[in-house]
Amino acid sequence: MGGLLAYQFDWSIIPPIFPSLLQGLELTLEITVVTIAVSMVVAVPLALARMATVTIIRWPAQLYIEIFRGTPLLVQLIWVYYALPVVLGINLPAFIAVVIALSANLTAFMAEAYRAGFQAVPKEHLEAAQVVGLRRVDQIRFVTVPQALRQQIPVILSLNISLFKDSSLVSTLGVADLTYKGNIESSLLFRPMEIYTTIAAIYFIIAFPATLITSAIERRMLAGQEGQTPNRPRGARSLMLKLLPTHLLFGGFGG
Amino acid sequence: MVASDASGGEAATGRRAEEMMSVVHAQAAPGATRQGNGGGAIVAGRGISKYFGQRCVLREVDFEVTPGEMLVVMGKSGSGKSTLLRVIAGLAQPETGELDISGLTVIKDGKHLDGWATQRRLVGMVFQQYTLWPHMSVYKNLALGPRRVLRQPESEIRSRAEAALDEVGLRDRMHSRPSELSGGQRQRVAIARALMMQPRVMLCDEITSALDPPIASGVLNILTNLARNDGIACVIVTHDMAFASKAADRVMFVEDGQILEQEEPSLAFSNPSSAGLREFVDALKVK
Ligand SMILES: Nc1ncnc2c1ncn2[C@@H]1O[C@H](COP(=O)(O)OP(=O)(O)OP(=O)(O)O)[C@@H](O)[C@H]1O
Ligand SMILES: [Mg+2]
Repeated sequence: MGGLLAYQFDWSIIPPIFPSLLQGLELTLEITVVTIAVSMVVAVPLALARMATVTIIRWPAQLYIEIFRGTPLLVQLIWVYYALPVVLGINLPAFIAVVIALSANLTAFMAEAYRAGFQAVPKEHLEAAQVVGLRRVDQIRFVTVPQALRQQIPVILSLNISLFKDSSLVSTLGVADLTYKGNIESSLLFRPMEIYTTIAAIYFIIAFPATLITSAIERRMLAGQEGQTPNRPRGARSLMLKLLPTHLLFGGFGG
Repeated sequence: MVASDASGGEAATGRRAEEMMSVVHAQAAPGATRQGNGGGAIVAGRGISKYFGQRCVLREVDFEVTPGEMLVVMGKSGSGKSTLLRVIAGLAQPETGELDISGLTVIKDGKHLDGWATQRRLVGMVFQQYTLWPHMSVYKNLALGPRRVLRQPESEIRSRAEAALDEVGLRDRMHSRPSELSGGQRQRVAIARALMMQPRVMLCDEITSALDPPIASGVLNILTNLARNDGIACVIVTHDMAFASKAADRVMFVEDGQILEQEEPSLAFSNPSSAGLREFVDALKVK
C-alpha cells in the first residue's frame, strides 16, 4: 500500500550526477541524429525499389522492409552487434554497430512512409514533368520527393520521435547513452527512483515539443489541403516547415 | 541586370515566333527520317493504334495539325480524346503507326526513334486538374524546365518567365504559390509554364471543365491569341460548343477510337454530315 508514499525521495543526489547524464544525452542525440539522417536518405531508393514494376528489384526491397518491420528492434540490435563482426570479419565500434542497426530499422519504416507519400502525388504532376522533358531522376528529385516529404511530415516526425526514445535500447549493449548512464549511476547510488524519474523527464522534455509540433502540422494539413483553397495565408505554415530539421535535411530537394 | 529585365519582357515576346522557327530547323536530329508527305504539318499521325490490354482505344487514326491552327477535339466520354493527346505528348505509347513532329518521324510501330527527345519539347500540354506543382512558386514552376532541360541561364529564364506571364496576364503573380491562385489563374500559369519550353503545339485536355464559363472563356481566349499571334497550334479537348464554333479553325470528332470527321466548325454544328455526328451535336445542345 504505502510503498511509494513511504519512499523518501532524495533529489539532492541528482545535481552531482547531472553532468554525467548530460554526457549520455549527448550520445543519445548523436545516435538519433545520425540514424535519422542516414535513414531519410537511404529510404528514398528503398521506397522506389519497393514500388518498382520489375520483380527482382521490388521483391528484395519488400523482403527487407518486412523483416525489419516484423522483428523486435532489440533483437535486431543484438543481432547486428554480434553477427555483423562475424559476417564482415571486422570489429565495429559499438557506436557504429548500433547506428547501423537503428538505421536499418528506421529505413524500413521510413521507406513505407515515403511510399505512401510517393503514391499520394497525383500522376498529373509527374506527367507535367514528363511533358516538360525532365529526366526521370529530376522528376523524382524536384516533383516527387519534396511533395512526398511534405505530405508525410507527420508520419516521418513521429517515426523520428519513436527512434529517439527507442535508442535507449542501445544501453543493453553497453553503449553509454542517457539510459546507460542512468543504469550506472543507480547501481552506484542505489537511487533508481530519482535517477530514472530524471531520465524519463529528460526524454520527455525533448520528445514532447516534437510531438506537439507534429500534431500542429497534422491539424494544419487537414484544415487546408494544399491546392484546394485559394488565397489561404501561408506565413505560419511555411515558416514551420522551414524550421523542421527533417525539412532542412532535404533542403537540396526543395527545387 | 535591371535594365535587361525591363526590356527583356517585350523583346522576348517579339522574338518568340522567330526563335521558334529556328528551333524547328535546328533540332532535326541525325538518324531521324524526314517525312516527305504531310509537309506543312507540325504534328501528323498515320495509322496510330493504342491498346490497353485487349481493348483498342485508338483504331488506326490519321490526323494532322497545321502550325497556328486552333483545332477543337470533341467526342463522348471514353471515346479516346485524352488518349489521342497523350500519344502526341508521349505519355502513351501507340502500338502501331507513325507520329511526325515538325516533319520528323519520331515514333514508328511502337518505338521511339532518334530525335524523339528534342522533338517532343515542341509539344506542350496542360491538364484538367493538378496542373501546377503545388510546392513551388509560380516562378519555380516556370523555371524548372528551362533550367534542367534547356539549361538556359538564369537571367534569360527570368525575362522569359516575365514574358510568358505577361502573355497570360499574371505577371504580378510571379512569386505566388499555386494554393494562392484561383482555378483559372492556375490554368493560365500552366499555359505559361508550357510556353517556357517554346512549344509549337499546345495540347489542352479539358483544361476549363472545372471553371465557371466566364473564367473558362478567358483561359480559352489566351490560347486563341497564342494560335493567332504566335503561330502555336492548339489542340483543345472541350465540350464548349460556343467556343468551338467561335474560335476553332477545325473541329475533330472522336468516336470509339476513330476520328469521325474533321471540318469547319460552322458546318459541323449547323449541318452535320453524318448520323453519328448529328446525334452527338444534338446531345451537346441539350446540355
Ligand atoms: N491507363 C488506362 N488503362 C486502361 N484503360 C484506359 C486507360 N486510359 C484510358 N483507358 C480507356 O480508354 C478509353 C478512352 O479513354 P480516354 O481517356 O482517352 O477517353 P476520353 O475521350 O478522354 O474520355 P473523357 O471525355 O471521359 O475524358 C476509355 O474506355 C478508358 O477506359
Ligand atoms: Mg479525357
